[in-house]
Amino acid sequence: MLRGVLDLCLLAVVMDEPAYGYEMTKRLRERGLSTVGEGSIYPLLGRLERDGLVATHRAASDGGPPRKYYRASPSGRRALAEGMRAWRDVRGEVDSVLATVEAEVA
Amino acid sequence: MTAYVEECRQEWKRLGVPALFVEEMATELESDLAEAQADGVSATEILGESDLRRFAATWATERGLVAEPAPPRKRRRWIWVVAGLVALILVAWIVTVVGLFAAASVSVQTSGSVQQPQTVESLLVPNFVGLKACRAKRIAEETPGLKVRPFSASRCDAVVVAQQPAAHTILRPRKRGHTTTVTLRLRG
Repeated sequence: MLRGVLDLCLLAVVMDEPAYGYEMTKRLRERGLSTVGEGSIYPLLGRLERDGLVATHRAASDGGPPRKYYRASPSGRRALAEGMRAWRDVRGEVDSVLATVEAEVA
Repeated sequence: MTAYVEECRQEWKRLGVPALFVEEMATELESDLAEAQADGVSATEILGESDLRRFAATWATERGLVAEPAPPRKRRRWIWVVAGLVALILVAWIVTVVGLFAAASVSVQTSGSVQQPQTVESLLVPNFVGLKACRAKRIAEETPGLKVRPFSASRCDAVVVAQQPAAHTILRPRKRGHTTTVTLRLRG
């Protein structure tokens, strides 16, 4: 169910402004996703690139070597829109189920 | 940080990732790790796992730079079981057929004009007609599963003119030890 959620988050942080890998990690943290989870974003970026959901280009960074920047492609934007709708549906359904339960974390 | 990148680079080369992509990914990783280190972020947080070879392989695979490992072939053990059973049945059938043929086969021994079976299971009754009684009796005694109804010793030189069962009758397989008695009609 959660497969692809991080892909959506990655697309979301490069929707408006391109970013390189580590910069995307920082944007995720800034937006509240402090734990990327098991694995790295690089394989996910590789898959997004392979599937044409992100476009890449190289550009100079501040005082450092040229970096590889990612930004959402038109296909990526469509995928993001569809993914957000699916995620909200799932989230609503899960919330409905969990709302019937009273549980406390010890 | 350089050691991390170098290990990934070696793994990509080992996997056959084209050199252009190896350098591209290595450069990207090296730059990000250097910046993360400056921010006080460990490489593990960036790489997500401590197994660098696995990380590198996953990255290259997801990018489509190396073929994904083929899923393990399902072991179709049932095929071998069925094949074994078929082979077993076939062997059993062959053995049975060969056995039946062997039992039914009649090896003919020529003794004068008399044909004599060698097997007990399936018996071809010899032709005693024309033979002297004692010779017919001796042949019958040499034939497993066959005997001649007793006759007087004084008629040893009498000639067999008829017999029952008739000559060349095939006596079907019967229990081992069973003996068929041939009745001879004598003249002279």
